[in-house]
Amino acid sequence: MTEFDLIVPSTPDEAVAVLHAHPPEEVAVLAGGTDLLFDLDGGRLRARHVVSLRRLPWRTLDWNGATLTIGSTLPLRAIENDPDVRARLPGLYTAVRAVGSVALRHRATLGGNLGRASPASDLVPMLLALDAEVELVGPSGERTVPVDRFVEASRKTALRPSELIRAVRIPEARPSAYLWQRVRPFHDISHMAVAVAFSPAGARWRVAVAGFPPRPILVPAAEAALGPAHPSDPDLERAAESIVREAPIVADRRASEEYRRRLVRPLLTRAVRACGEELR
Amino acid sequence: MTAPAPPRCRVNGRSVDLGDVPPGERLLDTLRWRLALKGTKEGCRTGSCGACTVLVDGKSALSCLTLTREIEGSAVTTIEGAPDDPEGARVRAAFEAVGALQCGYCTPGFVMALAGLLKERGRGGSFDELLEDLGGNLCRCTGYAAIVRAAASLRTEEAEP
Repeated sequence: MTEFDLIVPSTPDEAVAVLHAHPPEEVAVLAGGTDLLFDLDGGRLRARHVVSLRRLPWRTLDWNGATLTIGSTLPLRAIENDPDVRARLPGLYTAVRAVGSVALRHRATLGGNLGRASPASDLVPMLLALDAEVELVGPSGERTVPVDRFVEASRKTALRPSELIRAVRIPEARPSAYLWQRVRPFHDISHMAVAVAFSPAGARWRVAVAGFPPRPILVPAAEAALGPAHPSDPDLERAAESIVREAPIVADRRASEEYRRRLVRPLLTRAVRACGEELR
Repeated sequence: MTAPAPPRCRVNGRSVDLGDVPPGERLLDTLRWRLALKGTKEGCRTGSCGACTVLVDGKSALSCLTLTREIEGSAVTTIEGAPDDPEGARVRAAFEAVGALQCGYCTPGFVMALAGLLKERGRGGSFDELLEDLGGNLCRCTGYAAIVRAAASLRTEEAEP
């Protein structure tokens, strides 16, 4: 591991100023550290300065009507332990519990998961299906970016130099589900995953697939095929076919392309049916 | 301006000065090599096996993925401190009662992970959730049957008035 110094700013302004004061390639931002420390250990990241966000007031979870705003440094475990998340955003509850183990989720954060942009993220697909937005703060003020535009590619985000993720905003409570296929049920990486959510306001489905590089993606053709609220079996079949046909599913060392495409139909069908029970 | 107080944390009730700890040092190494608390085990060092699990402020944490300097001001409980911790003591007794270990290497991690779950949930949660929540701890001897029996006994004791 390369040597670094640990900087612990007390306010968001101070944190942004610290980032601004150093060349971007010399600085790493530390939230929970459960992913970052691998890259520091492996030498893939040669940060001379590590900026810890632990003193910032971003360990928050706020419901405002049907809108949920989650602070970027809140441990994931606090999200799954919120009874309203479990009841009103069941897909998010399941996706959070799909990340690592309890002990890992006591430190890992939503901001870290987004900022690190792992192609294997279990949270990004669910956030896509929930139309979540990322609130950013930086030297030139604040801005909000949809998750779909924030996560650009494997390990690549729309974060500008000296910008930080302050929070993630989920616009409405949605019947939702997250299903995955892996070797071990818990504390493993998904080979293939499907996130679905039904927007009551928009009367439409959102469908994201994940588990393969370079990043989780929404599949509009599948959303259109599912139609309004209660899809029929042929609707489901057409939605699955559109994913198999159109999604840029590829092979990597974890699974073949064919295996992943075969998993689409059962995962999608079960996920949509799980939401259907809630819609009733 | 007065000089800032040196960073400290508590380990099993004892105050520890973190002033000399390098920024990159892991809690696992601080415990084992700086404080000679060898009960906490190093398994994979990548957060995959749970052998290094300790409690930080009562919550389970992977000490191999925790920078010691990041837990400044916190209270750490390791397997050595389990007898003095109410939940730690209960888990230990449950493991002893059913002989829930083979080689013992994963045991400190399992005990601390379960102590953390008991603190957080008490009697709550289903049996399936208990299994899910123990999914981060691996036993290389595959001695899971007795470990699950011990864990389930804690749950039942609490659930029955």
